[in-house]
Amino acid sequence: MSEFLGYERDDGSVGIRNHVAIISTAPYANDTVERAAEITENTVPITHPLGRCQTKPDVFQTYRTLLGYGTHPNVYGTVVVAHAGEIVDGDELASDVAETGRPSASINIHEEKGVMNALQATVNAAQEMVLDASDQRRVPADYSNLTFGINCATSDTTSGLCQHKATAKAVWRLIDDHDGRGVFAETAEFFGGEHELAERAVNDEVKQEILDRVDHWDKRLQATGYDVRGAQPTPDNMDGGLTTIEEKSLGALVKSGDGPIQDIVDYGSKIPDGSGMYIMDTPGHGAESVTGIGAGGAHFMVISTGQGHTLSNAIMPTIKITGNPNSRERVPEETDVDVSEALVGDKDYDWAADQLWNELTRIVDGKLTMSEALGESQFAIHRIGPST
Amino acid sequence: MVERHIQVVEPEDNVATALREIEAGETLTIAVGDGTVTVEALADVEFGHKIALEDIPAGETVVKYGKSIGNATEDVDAGAWVHVHNVESNYGRGDLSADSAEADA
Repeated sequence: MSEFLGYERDDGSVGIRNHVAIISTAPYANDTVERAAEITENTVPITHPLGRCQTKPDVFQTYRTLLGYGTHPNVYGTVVVAHAGEIVDGDELASDVAETGRPSASINIHEEKGVMNALQATVNAAQEMVLDASDQRRVPADYSNLTFGINCATSDTTSGLCQHKATAKAVWRLIDDHDGRGVFAETAEFFGGEHELAERAVNDEVKQEILDRVDHWDKRLQATGYDVRGAQPTPDNMDGGLTTIEEKSLGALVKSGDGPIQDIVDYGSKIPDGSGMYIMDTPGHGAESVTGIGAGGAHFMVISTGQGHTLSNAIMPTIKITGNPNSRERVPEETDVDVSEALVGDKDYDWAADQLWNELTRIVDGKLTMSEALGESQFAIHRIGPST
Repeated sequence: MVERHIQVVEPEDNVATALREIEAGETLTIAVGDGTVTVEALADVEFGHKIALEDIPAGETVVKYGKSIGNATEDVDAGAWVHVHNVESNYGRGDLSADSAEADA
């Protein structure tokens, strides 16, 4: 079967959730957003410390990321809340959301003459959207609409030997059998495997771009003047047996399989429409890479973890898979799929991939992930330069 | 008998990954490519950690997935536990660059 049940959007995308997003454009609107989301059922607050006193590369990146969430396939409509006049402009953001055909509203605390008025206006707008969203029904849609995000989390030596193999088989099943898309990230975790990865590029331009971006990350880390060990690999990676960033990277790349790479895109950019596997250029920092991939429009994400993790996202459901037989005990309420029997038992990796595929197809159709059921999520936009 | 829970990824690797706890003194026969390698564990090795399949002299490449995962910082004997105490990375080494903050400190 090649159809799922999803929510059709005017821009041609199909969502697997029907969220109303309330997005803050600057730290000073965060409280109003959080309070409005507390009052209004079925809304997702999106808050962050950025959007003001940033240099242009960060302004573009912050705007792109917030717009990615405001127009995400899983988002029905968006309320934007600004504090005052900001370099990340609330009216512009709401207007760009509206261009996709989604309901949108722009609230400005200064223009509303105070936080209480702004809170009332935000709740009013959000309530109307939530009521309309609740009246929309899922309809059959082709699997080719789907974008499958992949990320690591608290990797250990089991990651590259087991769960990443299941993840790779599942994502290539979506690409090869259903003409869908896949996206992985974490450029700083290509170190040591970048040449083999670049050989998978569909053309010389993409090949060079992959190598250039990996080199850029190495230079950025060297510029700190310190050994990156401790930041990469992390202390929990090292507890799990990973010794160097090269070992972590070579394992991490297993989750991307070995098929062709169509392109490498900037942090938070929309993943292109064509079928195939894409890379998003992000740090290895999980909250930041997952936030970037969500902005790119991935419908769901498989988080392939070694030691177990809470990493999750409120707009893009995150499905956690592990192959470490001890991980389920560490974070039992966050582990959706355990395929450790393929590593230490009698099962093979086709079985492991089937376990993951069967669970993710249910989640696409509406079953909640473990982290959705707990209301767990993080949001962290990667920052490039200094505040000013 | 070949160890089921000690895994080598590629035949050219000089380390293996323990998928069970290994105790110092155990004699281990490990599958490598089409053949086997037998080593005596020189230390306890935790689940998920690595053991050397052969002597790796200081400065030589530690190989896993058929590729370099760094260099030995001391002579590593076959059967030794291989980890951060005896392997260093070749990436993100700001401490080795000319304007190193650590070098200045």
